[in-house]
Amino acid sequence: MHAEAISLKGIVKHYCVGDETVMALRGVDLAVPVGAFVAIRGPSGSGKSTLLNICGLIDGFDDGHYQLAGVNVSCLSEKERTHIRRQQVGFVFQSYNLMPVMTVAENVEYPLLLSAIPVQERRQRVAEMLSLVGLSKQANRRPDRLSGGQRQRVAIARALIKSPTLVIADEPTANLDTTTAGQIIDLMKDLGARRGATFLIATHDDRMAAHCDQVCSIVDGMLQ
Amino acid sequence: MKRRYWHAWQNVLRNRRRSLVTIIIAAVGCAAVQLAGGFAQFSYDVLIEGTIQDSGHIIVATRDYFVRNEESPMQYGIPDASAMRERLSQHSHVRWVLPHINFSGLISNGDKSLIFAGTGVDPEIETEVRGPYLTWESGSFGKSVDGRPFVLLGSELARSLRAHVGSSLTLLSTTTDGTMNAVDVEVSGIASTGWREVDQRFIYVSLSTAQRLLATDRVSSFSVFLDDNAVTGEVLKEMSGGDQAHVYKPWWEQAFYYHSVRQLYNRIFGLLGSIIAALVFFSVSNTLAMAVVERTREIGTLRALGAEPGEVVLQFIREGLLIGLLGALLGTLLASFLSALLPYLGLQMPPAPGRTVGYALKVSISPLLYFIADFSVVLLCVLAAWFASHKATRKPIIDALGHV
Repeated sequence: MHAEAISLKGIVKHYCVGDETVMALRGVDLAVPVGAFVAIRGPSGSGKSTLLNICGLIDGFDDGHYQLAGVNVSCLSEKERTHIRRQQVGFVFQSYNLMPVMTVAENVEYPLLLSAIPVQERRQRVAEMLSLVGLSKQANRRPDRLSGGQRQRVAIARALIKSPTLVIADEPTANLDTTTAGQIIDLMKDLGARRGATFLIATHDDRMAAHCDQVCSIVDGMLQ
Repeated sequence: MKRRYWHAWQNVLRNRRRSLVTIIIAAVGCAAVQLAGGFAQFSYDVLIEGTIQDSGHIIVATRDYFVRNEESPMQYGIPDASAMRERLSQHSHVRWVLPHINFSGLISNGDKSLIFAGTGVDPEIETEVRGPYLTWESGSFGKSVDGRPFVLLGSELARSLRAHVGSSLTLLSTTTDGTMNAVDVEVSGIASTGWREVDQRFIYVSLSTAQRLLATDRVSSFSVFLDDNAVTGEVLKEMSGGDQAHVYKPWWEQAFYYHSVRQLYNRIFGLLGSIIAALVFFSVSNTLAMAVVERTREIGTLRALGAEPGEVVLQFIREGLLIGLLGALLGTLLASFLSALLPYLGLQMPPAPGRTVGYALKVSISPLLYFIADFSVVLLCVLAAWFASHKATRKPIIDALGHV
């Protein structure tokens, strides 16, 4: 296994807003070891979401080099990036982004379905994961019948079900109360450690940052 | 796979009212195409039946009869008609062989003379074959009471001559050697073909009367009636094989009116079908486009999780497929119900241009037409789903995730 989950060197990203060019990232260097729990902090518009999107391969960059689990992913086609995301990247969104027509179990199962895992193995892994996040009894419920904390647990289970190299979590506790947010942080850290997944978390939450192995601050598109 | 369709169905149900309206539009579109097509099919069937009733399944005449103008009456007639009739009657699929003599001349009541287009027929068989298709005003095809030659008059011609059953009239025509000849006839019946132009001119007389008037033993042609229209081509081939002296023409080569109507209806109903198809397409694509916009974040999430754009499009296509299948099913049920109901309602269509009688409004139920309409509606819905979703699934993932 490669020692670094992600390695970014000189990442530059700009956006065009009308006639103006906005520099979102100005040569970001970042190396995160495998299994680390890393927080990216910064004010709104500092570029932390852009950085996470690039790390999660859902956005491109204009200059620099990016290696994910030792593989250079700087110049991949959209199809190749999709394939790597499917295998190696999990996402936890602030608004959970669960599929409303799917049950809890089906939401968690979805990434395995995309990877064409056999049905028996899928069922076993989903049951196991739901048990780990404490939602076995809610397996057949729809997301709209769950609390915010439970929904975020489903999202975490979905992100980790395929044992990804990297989990991108964008403000995962922003919509939760303090107690639930604490439980979610503990759950992510616990499951991340068990699964060997690297967490990259964008957050404003000091409690979240306090639980992280590494805290990176980003201001005006540059890591401090 | 079953679960994917279940999810697609759940997505269709997310906005029930909108989906219901779309399904109803697809169903009404499908039913409209099936009913319009069924009506056209019924009209074609009626026209085919009318053409066959008029000319028979196969018309047999001499080679020159169809291509040359006769310089004298019966110049290109069939000699030795009895032997020919006997030969044609021997085929196992032949029901009737009707000899016809076509001629023209003047018909007079003593005060007034009018041009007629006459046909010499075998009255007994003609009554059986053509009788049911004529609208009888009075009398019949049969013989006159005192054994004098009889004539069946077109209703408009009878009106012009102020003739009625039993009236005495005189037919004048040119014989085969070019001299004028006259025959006194008695009106045995007055009937309408439904065509005003024809009713103003037509008369039927017996073969013997026509032959006496024209001084000939020939007949113009034979109309061969078969037991099944489907075997026309096959019988035609068998009959014409080896007979170089005669031409055998199937009914469709003589069905000029049928072909014109069919061409016209195909254009009208083709245009109607295209308009309906466009309505269904835009309605379904509008519904699914709204669903796509509402679910842009879901699309972004699925893409982020590793779904290919094609897989996301497939999800919407499944929804379009379900809408199309339901629309086609409901449309077919509606069209079948209405088609079955129409005969009981007794609705009448007005007479076609040039005709004097209308006809019952009926709609044929054609399995092939229903299949084509159902398939088209489903295909349109699938295409509409693709049209509505393929662009959205190629939207940058971060834009899709940030959609509000």
